Amino acid sequence: MTDTRPRLSTAQPGDYFQLLKPRVMSLVIFTAVTGLVVAPGQLNPLVAAIAILCIAVGAGAAGALNMGLEGETDALMKRTRGRPVAAGRVRKNDALAYGAVLSLFSVMLLGMNTNWFAAGLLALTIVYYAGFYTLMLKRRTPQNIVIGGAAGAFPPVIGWAAVTGDAPWQAWLLFLIIFLWTPPHSWALALYSAGDYARAGIPMMPVARGPKSTRLQILLYSLVLVPVAILPGVTDLGGPIYLGVSVVGGLLFLLLAFRLWRSRAGDQPEADRTHGGPAVGREAALYDVRIDAKPARNLFAYSILYLMLLFLALLLENLPASTLVCPSCA
Amino acid sequence: MPLMRLTEEELTARKRRNLWIALGLVAFMVLVFLTTFLRLKQNIADASAARSVAEAPAQPAGPAKGGAS
Repeated sequence: MTDTRPRLSTAQPGDYFQLLKPRVMSLVIFTAVTGLVVAPGQLNPLVAAIAILCIAVGAGAAGALNMGLEGETDALMKRTRGRPVAAGRVRKNDALAYGAVLSLFSVMLLGMNTNWFAAGLLALTIVYYAGFYTLMLKRRTPQNIVIGGAAGAFPPVIGWAAVTGDAPWQAWLLFLIIFLWTPPHSWALALYSAGDYARAGIPMMPVARGPKSTRLQILLYSLVLVPVAILPGVTDLGGPIYLGVSVVGGLLFLLLAFRLWRSRAGDQPEADRTHGGPAVGREAALYDVRIDAKPARNLFAYSILYLMLLFLALLLENLPASTLVCPSCA
Repeated sequence: MPLMRLTEEELTARKRRNLWIALGLVAFMVLVFLTTFLRLKQNIADASAARSVAEAPAQPAGPAKGGAS
């Protein structure tokens, strides 16, 4: 007789690490560290390190909740079908419990460690991403990524708030850069993954409005993003290095967005590799595209580098003056 | 009621998960301890600074503007 009782999970610790979306987490850590370093004020380096850990774990917890809630949808998309819940390695409820516990621990520890304003912002980010974006926005509007992008823009503000206990306009300027960066970044990827989104019933812009409209909107968002990203260079946030990086990097961003606008990326459905292949469900699936989709792929890949460079420039310019590198100052 | 017989794979996976949960909990305890220690240190430093300000000799008051009632 066959044993039909539910089996014990065979999920490995690595699967639980994958639930934290480590690739997204690295960007969160980077932008949060920048917010923390750029903010005026003193913070003990150990307190700063714990704060960054809390922000990273909080962002990871939101990712785990997202994967728990989206397991069935993820299984329909080749880019995400290798994720632990979608692939059936981790149970949905286990992922949700894991995300909830980590959310609670990270928010609580950040509040105890720095201040409750920063902890509140972290809690808001988790609820915004897992609740508002995943459960409500994602399936309802093609503007999902525009509104939902705010969740990814919060980390530098949380980093700033961890130091000062408030969030002045300079912190919100960093927020605005990531907020405006998200649509061109996500839509460039969506242009060559539209079939995936359509199969999963997610109204991403290329699915809902078509590739031509998406390419135009990417260009328009880029035209707004680049001047906004230069602003820290002309305020007290950044200096000449930031100004140079944001101008040169921004021009390249505009060039790639312009090339994408003029291309036919997304017009043809992407090659079907639903039955497997080297790139399915893995990182390589993000970059392994057909020749006509290359302008979209190029902008997607460059957009990550662009954001990294902007925040790296801010970090480098503010680090020497920061008390974080001077333990005795704190 | 018969006990569920676990496979070798299930046992190994459970052992690994348990180990990482234990490590996670220990790390959390260490972080809470460090946080408490750092907050106490900061509060003691703040209290000591406030006391030295309070105990400092009062500065002689300057002439009052506009006259006091």
